[in-house]
Amino acid sequence: MLLSLLANPAVRPDLFTARRAKPAAKQSRWLRMAEGISLWLAVLLMLFVHPLYAEARQMDMEQPGQLYLMNDQSARQQPAVILDSEFQVHVSGLLAQTRLTRTFRNASDQWQEGIFVFPLPDKATVYGLRMTIGEREIVGHIEPKAKARQTYERARQAGQHAATLEQHRPNLFTSRVANIPPGESVQVEIRYQQPVAYKHGEFELRLPTTLTPRYMPGDPLAETQGQWQSGWALATTEVADAHEISPFTVRPQDVDGGSHRARIGIEIESGLALADVSSPSHRLHTELDGARATVRPEQEKVLMDRDVIVRWRPVAGSEPKAAVFHQTWQGEDYLMAMVLPLETAGPVLRRELVFVIDTSGSMAGDAIAQARSALLKGLETLRPGDSFNVIQFNSQAHALFAQPVPAEGHYLARARRYVQDLRANGGTEMAGALSLALGMDSGPGGERVRQVVFITDGAVGNESALFNQIRSGLADRRLFTVGIGSAPNMHFLREAARWGRGEFTAIHSGAEVDRALNRLFAAMEAPVLTNLDVRWPDQGQPLEPVPARPGDLFRGTPLVQVVRGLSAAGQLQVSGQLPGGRHWSTSLDLAQAAPASGLNRQWARGRIDELTDAARLQGQTPDEQQITELSVRHGVISPFTSFVVVEQRRARPETESAGSQSIPTLLPAGSQPGMLRYPQTATFAPLFTALGLLGLMFSLAIAMLNRRPSL
Amino acid sequence: MSRLLLLLFGCSATVLMFGLWIPFKALVAQELLALAWAETQARQVQARPWPWADTWPVAKLEMPELDVSMIVLDGLHGESLAFGPGKLVAGADGPVILAGHRDTHFSHLQHLAPGNPVRLQGQDQHWQDYRVTSIRVVDSRKELINTHALAAGTLLLVTCYPFNSMDARGPLRYVVEAHPVYALEQKDTVAAL
Repeated sequence: MLLSLLANPAVRPDLFTARRAKPAAKQSRWLRMAEGISLWLAVLLMLFVHPLYAEARQMDMEQPGQLYLMNDQSARQQPAVILDSEFQVHVSGLLAQTRLTRTFRNASDQWQEGIFVFPLPDKATVYGLRMTIGEREIVGHIEPKAKARQTYERARQAGQHAATLEQHRPNLFTSRVANIPPGESVQVEIRYQQPVAYKHGEFELRLPTTLTPRYMPGDPLAETQGQWQSGWALATTEVADAHEISPFTVRPQDVDGGSHRARIGIEIESGLALADVSSPSHRLHTELDGARATVRPEQEKVLMDRDVIVRWRPVAGSEPKAAVFHQTWQGEDYLMAMVLPLETAGPVLRRELVFVIDTSGSMAGDAIAQARSALLKGLETLRPGDSFNVIQFNSQAHALFAQPVPAEGHYLARARRYVQDLRANGGTEMAGALSLALGMDSGPGGERVRQVVFITDGAVGNESALFNQIRSGLADRRLFTVGIGSAPNMHFLREAARWGRGEFTAIHSGAEVDRALNRLFAAMEAPVLTNLDVRWPDQGQPLEPVPARPGDLFRGTPLVQVVRGLSAAGQLQVSGQLPGGRHWSTSLDLAQAAPASGLNRQWARGRIDELTDAARLQGQTPDEQQITELSVRHGVISPFTSFVVVEQRRARPETESAGSQSIPTLLPAGSQPGMLRYPQTATFAPLFTALGLLGLMFSLAIAMLNRRPSL
Repeated sequence: MSRLLLLLFGCSATVLMFGLWIPFKALVAQELLALAWAETQARQVQARPWPWADTWPVAKLEMPELDVSMIVLDGLHGESLAFGPGKLVAGADGPVILAGHRDTHFSHLQHLAPGNPVRLQGQDQHWQDYRVTSIRVVDSRKELINTHALAAGTLLLVTCYPFNSMDARGPLRYVVEAHPVYALEQKDTVAAL
């Protein structure tokens, strides 16, 4: 009876007839009983139905089709620490200096520590950290990493204001701010510089604001002592610092309305008359004035869910072919030279192209669609006589053909079908894909130029091991990388291409696939300049140019080198081999050098990279002492040193305790959320039952006690 | 005094009723769901178990070792979890995540051990066999489910932990990971082809 009542709402009208029959019920006991029962049933029905409405309301707030778990503890999705960022970028010549101000506002009523893992440009050199509390500004200094952690930790426990900045990867940093008073904010200013990319006659500046969650290969290690745990991942056998580089990723609507927005202002002083400034990622508001431009996004504050990319080009015909900059720092001369080789087309070579495409879960969403169209575009560039293969990888790698096949109709048709069916999910086991691509025998049909095109978002935590693998397995191949998505790991893409003696490009949106790939495939036809020889004038001093041995140059890419201890006089000679074996050389008058700043830091960063590279080539750990010395002397961050800043007086009273909050990063635009919160999977049933039984027993006991005296 | 006592008695009885109501609802709902599931399979439509329901049966879960079977509902929100375990498929053919209340449907999970079989029947009446590979207790404040790192086809059964706790909002979760097992005959036919 009860069951059918619940199941069949058609029975419900009975309830109302019963209620309407109320006056008549006075006469009939039977009717009164029916009324009682139906009222109870109505109450039960209410209980049954009510939660549905409550949940349905919450459901409306979700976007359709988006992966999301309901969580009753909504408080956890609103971080207590709210983050505000401001990028002030000043571009001068080939270097961009940025002041990145992060404001950590404590919205809770408890003292808080804010922890934020964030990306910086992959070639960024961090050279300053300042902390501002109200009116007071305190300048930070560099200390060896372990010591800096101690300094910070001591200050945090002593209740002092303190901040630290640590490097995990060349493009991944953690900033910690201790003892933010409730309801107040602490500002941390990070200063860094980055080289401006100059390719194909166009300058490009990239400011990453978030990161694609990285895959951590290897088995999880036993619970790490979680003193500095700040991420969703546990350290694994292959990524020892996985827990430090895996910030929680949330959708924009999961953070406070004012949080995770950045104000961006860029001033460009190019020294050349500018034709236009554009951006594939944001709509810009630009004020052009000859060689200067002031640029900001149209929106006052942009959501930190994608890289900010700004491009500018000089008026046609005035694209620089060479440039020299000079700086004197602490009595030492620093020179930076840029030389663009002649653009010539070489003979058409027969190629063996192996396309490797990342179909891991982090590519889900727009990224996989872009990757597919990039690969299809790549297949189009194949000519008769070329051979090719396609490898996809996620948790496992799979090759379409056992060995490269000729670029003929039916093979190409099969490849196109294969590519169109690619779906993204699973892990990012890149090592397997690399060994498959680099270990594959050449197909029949004689000598070919072997090239690998690697299409990925680079969202892995074991970059270093992969670079080693590329270096040792490369043989006579060249590896080219194509970055996909709104926030690719540019460090991986650039370095993988460098170790693979190739080139890299990045696609920001579907509309850019053609443009970016046309250039890459044009460059892949042949390196423009090989056997590069750079001769600086001999002034009797040992030169330490960075990069020490520049690799082959591709079409549209300049040579950039920085040297120390050379005054701006004499001639720089650059020579090399053009395609087809012709010799090419040019010379540059150093006396024409334009003044610049930050060259010493650029050089120091380059030296640190050189030392790390040298160690990798010898299979050793890098020379920590030498790197630390360089880092401290030039005031730039390194893998072994961190910035730390401490205010001497105590801020937090001893009676107050402090919480700690890891600030999440935003999910890159266009990607599918892959991180799910665990759902709430317990009910109040046991608690209610226990409480109810307890109460009943208690009242029964009292009732019996009460009755006894009366008896 | 007797009024106070009556009040206490009434309150306790109500609280007890609320407490008993949840498992009762879970039990009754499964019966209704069985009917809806039969209809779903017969007519290949999304049959709602009762007209005002916000969810519908999407699968049937069996744990042969424990001799338990239950109907699985769509979605991991509280509304479906009240009546049965909820199912969510992450991405196109990503991992399958089932979550259930530890005090009702998924109380059985505590008896599952690695190596035990688990079966899941989809709307197409096809039974997929899984084998439990690992069981972990995770802290939901520190860890998220990283669906990208899970292999396609993985089955995750999630419930709260510890099983006999009174705290309905505890942070710990009991996660059973199972991987699909493909019948040997299937492989043979592929090889023969």
